[in-house]
Amino acid sequence: MASETVLVIGGGPAGMEAARSVADLGYPVLLVERRDRLGGRPEEEHYAKLTHHFREAEDMIRELVEAVTTHSNVTVMTSSEVVGCEGEPGNFRVKIRNGASAEEVTVGSIIVATGFQHFDPGRETQMYNYYTFPDVITIADLEGMLKAHQVVRPSNGQPPERVAFIQCVGSRDRQIGNEFCSKVCCGIASKQAIEVKQQLPDSRVFIFYIDMRMYGYWENEIYWPAQEEYKVNYVKGIVSEILPKGDRLLIRGEDTTMGRPMEVTVDLVVLSVGMEPSEGTRKIAKILDIRQNKYGYIEAGGPTGVDPVATSRPGIFVAGAASGPADLDDTFATAGLAAARAVATVRRLQLAKAA
Amino acid sequence: MDWVSTKPDKYADVPYEEKLRLFLEVKNDPRYEDFLYGCYECGICVSACPSARFYDFSPRVIAQAMAREDVDRFYEILVEDIWNCAQCFSCVRCPRQNNPGGLVTLIREVAVRNGLKEARDVLQGYSRVIYKVMLKGNQVSPDMLQPDFFPDWGPWVREFSENMDVWRRAIPVDTLRGVTDAAWRTDEKTLLELYTIWFETNNIDIIQEVDEGLYELLLDVMEEALEEVA
Repeated sequence: MASETVLVIGGGPAGMEAARSVADLGYPVLLVERRDRLGGRPEEEHYAKLTHHFREAEDMIRELVEAVTTHSNVTVMTSSEVVGCEGEPGNFRVKIRNGASAEEVTVGSIIVATGFQHFDPGRETQMYNYYTFPDVITIADLEGMLKAHQVVRPSNGQPPERVAFIQCVGSRDRQIGNEFCSKVCCGIASKQAIEVKQQLPDSRVFIFYIDMRMYGYWENEIYWPAQEEYKVNYVKGIVSEILPKGDRLLIRGEDTTMGRPMEVTVDLVVLSVGMEPSEGTRKIAKILDIRQNKYGYIEAGGPTGVDPVATSRPGIFVAGAASGPADLDDTFATAGLAAARAVATVRRLQLAKAA
Repeated sequence: MDWVSTKPDKYADVPYEEKLRLFLEVKNDPRYEDFLYGCYECGICVSACPSARFYDFSPRVIAQAMAREDVDRFYEILVEDIWNCAQCFSCVRCPRQNNPGGLVTLIREVAVRNGLKEARDVLQGYSRVIYKVMLKGNQVSPDMLQPDFFPDWGPWVREFSENMDVWRRAIPVDTLRGVTDAAWRTDEKTLLELYTIWFETNNIDIIQEVDEGLYELLLDVMEEALEEVA
């Protein structure tokens, strides 16, 4: 007999939103999370504010966690990993390991929401001396500082007078292998620049970029206010190197639109690291035998090529950043669609059986 | 120093504090925030700018230098770039609604108010215009074309001024009937009001900053007129 349960793998924003949607559509959900608690990347990395309306990320995550943990249709398994899967839509037999024990469950369809990880700026080339200079940090590091209202130079604990963001670190780079745009870093850096200016009004903030990709309402909600109200300086030109200068940092690049080389002394450098498929995303693709693209993300598209939640295997769907760089709007959109498709899969089988 | 360019600063001999003072005079103008929001560096202002086709002049660079608060580059703009602007305001097609031409206006005003040499040099050719504007409330009339004034009328001005009389006579209609008289005919009440305005608004002091000789000339005429009434 076909199972009507939907398995959701991953307890971040995509997984929780997908689980909530399936549950609200009246179907049972099994939500499996590797970590010991729900919340995903925003919770694990202590995200400060969301790009929309500067809402606290913590509030949004808390609401999602509450929604799935109190819903009678949702069963949550934390500290658990999917380690095997066979079968077909309506009858996927999935092996789940929890510590030393393992169990097999049968589900009707599957939603993969295993997400992304931040690019590690030390991985390939020791880019920008991330692991050498304490005052070179990433946007993920800065989120935690902003959340704690402790934006300081790690080297001396003092608030920085000048902060420089460097965009496209680990994105749009053939030499690194991540040729894609990570899509969210322009918005995140601009949002963070505003937050830095809110917390340290006397600081001066620069953003060095290749292109600013502030699509949709990010333009007027983030980019313009950053430039016009908070006087953030956007400079088109990527920094080539960071050197120590006394106890500060000297960054070198070209101010391309002014047509001149530049050297700017700053106190804190923030690397706008891009997105990469998480380790969980890479692993689950193998376990579920679904196709990955050359970057390791789960390939979406389906037969039409434009379905953002279809994977190469019928009955298995993908939501959020497991299929490629995504912001939270994208994540909620694909989570809802994946929920609809997952429910439709089991319901179609139920109706066929009844007929 | 705000920006450390690896190119040498052309005006390194001018103290940074002086450049900053002039910069802040522009930035603190109440019109400033309506003239500069943020710059995309898209270049539409340069594309629309007639001066950019003929001179090393870019309204985009002016907007950018101001937004970057690049005080050294600002100083270069103050003494060099702004004098190439025709103040046509084609640049206001900016998608961010910046007004680079307006920035040029503000910077020129600061150059004039501070009696900078470059402002004095540029205004030299216009002393007759200023003289007429301030004394009559109107500037040139068509018969005023002279080879040594109005450099922005182009390199042909000499030939024009030499031949204009003959050329006019070749036109069958009477081209200049009453124009010169009418242009400078201003009733006395208006003139006295005008002179009072120049004094009350300190405009006359600005003239003193840029052209002492012209100032003396104007002062004589205006004070005499005002004293007669008093």
